[in-house]
Amino acid sequence: MEFLSLTLLIFLPLIGAVIIFSPWFPQNEVKIRRFAKGFSGIVFIYSLFFLAFFNPMEKGFQFNETITFPGGKPWIEQLGVNIAFGVDGISMLLIVLTTFLVLLALIASKYSITKRHKFYYSMIFVLQTSILGVFAAKDLFLFIIFWELELIPMYFLISVWGSGRKEYSAMKFILYTFAGSVFMLAAILAIVYYNYLQTGVLTFDLNTYTYMKAFVYPTVFGILAFLGFFIAFAVKLPVVPFHTWLPDAHVDAPTPVSMLLAGILLKMGGYGLIRMNLQIMPEILKILSPLIVILGIINILYAAIIATAQKDLKKLVAYSSVSHMGIVLLGLGAMNISGVSGAVFQMIAHGVISAGLFMIVGVIYLRTHTREISDLGGLGQNSPKIMYFSMIIALGSLGLPLLIGFAAETLAFYGAFTSEVFSGFSLFNIYIPVSIQILTAIGIVGVIFTAVYVLWMFQRVFWGNMFDKWRKFHDASPHEMVVLISLIAVIVFFGLYPEGMTGIFVPTIDGIMKLI
Amino acid sequence: MELLNDIKIALLPESIMVLFILLTVILSFTAGKNQQGAIFYISLGGVVLALLSILFTGFSPEKEVLYNSFTSNYFTVVYRSIILAGTIFTLFLTKDYVEGFGKSRGEFYFLLLTASLGAMLLCGANDLIVVFVAMETLSISSFALCGYTKSDRLSNEAALKYLVFGAAASAAMLYGFSFIYGITASTNLREISGFLSTYEVNSVLIIAFLFILAGFGFKISAAPFQAWAPDVYEGAPIPVAAYLSVVSKTAGFAVLIRFMTVLFPSFTIFSIILATLAVITMTAGNLMALGQQNIRRLMAYSSIAHAGYILLGMAILTTDGITAMTFYLITYLFMNFGVWAAIETLAIAAGKDNIDDFSGLGKKYRYFSLGLVLCLLSLAGIPVTAGFFSKFYLFKAVAVAGYEFMPVLLIALINTAIALFYYMRIIKVIYLKPANEIRHERAFNVAIPAKFVMALCVIGVLLLGVFASPVIEKSGVVNADIFSKKQVKNH
Repeated sequence: MEFLSLTLLIFLPLIGAVIIFSPWFPQNEVKIRRFAKGFSGIVFIYSLFFLAFFNPMEKGFQFNETITFPGGKPWIEQLGVNIAFGVDGISMLLIVLTTFLVLLALIASKYSITKRHKFYYSMIFVLQTSILGVFAAKDLFLFIIFWELELIPMYFLISVWGSGRKEYSAMKFILYTFAGSVFMLAAILAIVYYNYLQTGVLTFDLNTYTYMKAFVYPTVFGILAFLGFFIAFAVKLPVVPFHTWLPDAHVDAPTPVSMLLAGILLKMGGYGLIRMNLQIMPEILKILSPLIVILGIINILYAAIIATAQKDLKKLVAYSSVSHMGIVLLGLGAMNISGVSGAVFQMIAHGVISAGLFMIVGVIYLRTHTREISDLGGLGQNSPKIMYFSMIIALGSLGLPLLIGFAAETLAFYGAFTSEVFSGFSLFNIYIPVSIQILTAIGIVGVIFTAVYVLWMFQRVFWGNMFDKWRKFHDASPHEMVVLISLIAVIVFFGLYPEGMTGIFVPTIDGIMKLI
Repeated sequence: MELLNDIKIALLPESIMVLFILLTVILSFTAGKNQQGAIFYISLGGVVLALLSILFTGFSPEKEVLYNSFTSNYFTVVYRSIILAGTIFTLFLTKDYVEGFGKSRGEFYFLLLTASLGAMLLCGANDLIVVFVAMETLSISSFALCGYTKSDRLSNEAALKYLVFGAAASAAMLYGFSFIYGITASTNLREISGFLSTYEVNSVLIIAFLFILAGFGFKISAAPFQAWAPDVYEGAPIPVAAYLSVVSKTAGFAVLIRFMTVLFPSFTIFSIILATLAVITMTAGNLMALGQQNIRRLMAYSSIAHAGYILLGMAILTTDGITAMTFYLITYLFMNFGVWAAIETLAIAAGKDNIDDFSGLGKKYRYFSLGLVLCLLSLAGIPVTAGFFSKFYLFKAVAVAGYEFMPVLLIALINTAIALFYYMRIIKVIYLKPANEIRHERAFNVAIPAKFVMALCVIGVLLLGVFASPVIEKSGVVNADIFSKKQVKNH
């Protein structure tokens, strides 16, 4: 097991980026792409080794690694900051999801990226490093570093290779995220200072604040710090009042970047909610769980209703992402093992499904150069392969049994139904006897809306009469086949056998919830 | 003999500077038109020699020389090093820029070196008179430097504006000094501090402090004394603008830190005043920068905003805060000079300095613009650059200073989010906009000195970003030294 080094896994993509960007690397487009695909394939396989040697039953972090500098010093002594990595069940899965989706995104890049290849592939690798870093960081400072590092490649990926109002969207994305993360920074400094006052030790080590926490935060302080964290993750997830960057960014980003954005980047928000808000401040989450659940319900319903009214295919998929992320919030607000497991499962399921949906939108856009649903129709006649693949992914999105989305949603809703976290809450001193069960029942209506817009979209795009101009619409090329089949394989396999996935992260969540 | 001994133990770098200043003056008169270029090498040699003399002889132990009017300790060593390093960067930037000045190149170096001498004396001044004289040496040389391009209308305007503001600020500061002298009957900082340590805060002292702050605030371009900065940065020769934004500012902060630590360490009311000023400065700087089209004006507002952040480190009145300030100034040296090197390159090539003139730079000069982008990201505080660490360390110091600073910290954090917008706007132009037609015809090469400065800055920004720990430690000892004499009243 000595060959498994998390540090190497995280910085491997960065090495790839440097190799591609260096002046010695050939300018040839094909060579760059082949190298990038091969390299990210290696990263993916390497990450699979971690999964293979991962022991779900072990408590806490695994593959722990702390880098010390000469003299046994930590990275920044004065701040008590270490370069420390480690994974548990949740981050392990997200890391594999990241390497998997980056590989697929690179395969999908062949047709949608037509300029500045060196820059593009190196940016993707920088992005991969920063996302892996977020998932594996075991130090709050390191977490922030990777969290903000991710903005720069993302800005370029949207603004250089995007379409439409790409610069506006990219700027909106970066400003929203940065403004959100500023509050997280304040919250982190506040809890670090609190710990410093209590124990006299200045440290950013995550375990000090989660597993080894020796104190309870005062309520008002806790709520403020909680909200600081929550705003940062709510922007990323996104939660409804902060979601407006998402449709813009998704619509204007190129297909592979949309896949990564929906597939992994949104998960950073969910991961942060679980890692920080749930693990650091469970007592505050318990107080605020009505807020979280209600926001989750609003997310599910509001975004689903908006999605039904969309004319643009990509916008529809973007809003469906927002809607599905509401389920993550709901599961988290339930505060029990099945709820939080459902949230994690939903993150992974949505990561795969939304990447698939964006791939399909990309495939259609490549051939028709339009994303207007009303301009499309009957595309299934010429391209049965694309149609059937799309059907499976779309059904997965609406939560058809035996596909991965069903398992995830069911788990989350089950958790929310059986939760006893609140049976009513008071608002402005008025007690409102609305329990989480009632709210969940309202939220489930959202699933119907999902079925409405997904099926309606599918029907209008692939069935019906074909416009003459789409006669030359050709079927999936090998690259697209590889991407779609890989995604569908995951969707179907873990839909039939969800235990394969839950077996990895549920013990971790079990451990987390026991501490609370 | 005592003078020689003083020079040996404390004033060697200043003496070297004086020697080379005289040399440049003589050469600028005697050397022929074609040999004026040699003066650059002479002055560069002088500054490098002065820097080496600081680094290798070590004046760290606390010493007071010249009848107690100058202090040499680790604090002054660090700040004098920053100033000399900044002067070296400025000299490299002038290398090609002064070609346009015609025959009178020698005096430029003379003025630059004199300004640096003033700045160095300011760091260690231990007497109100010396503070004033050093400040004026720095200021008057800067006025002349600002107006150096005589035929340029903007340059003249800059010089006049800087002069008027500077004179007013100096007068106010001197007035403040007179109050201090009135209270304590002494001009020596040590004696004053001994007197003030038992002194109750009253309105006279507050007024004196405010007047003195006007003088220092002018140097560091803190609000409400910041109004000169945009016009001066726009009009002054570019190396001079870079010099003002880093070296002159560092000297201003050095003297501010000395005053706060030696004279007023226990007056919490000054902490409130400084915190208010800091918040106003950073907010004003960032908000004004949003709408700027001219890159130089933008950098002026950006430097005002950074002055606000750094001032925050002073406002909390802790040792850690001063460590953070020093570290911030060190990182600021690198990131700011990187940007100014790029501005100068473009100004020489295109003759203009609007943000739009950066368009298409990313394609033509991949590595140069990558360096520029790194410096900009560092200014914005994005990891893994030096700017992120200095900001983080500063904010950590503010957070640890107490919960009463939490609102100030939040404002500062929101400010960094605002600042990101205008830095990203420059980056956007560099990479996304198609190349400017006018400049496209006049292909230009990036001058070697500008490349050199950029390379040094990028190395500094990245190294300080990844291995910040030793440098923070180096910035830290400064303050333990200062505070060992007198305990700060930490609320």
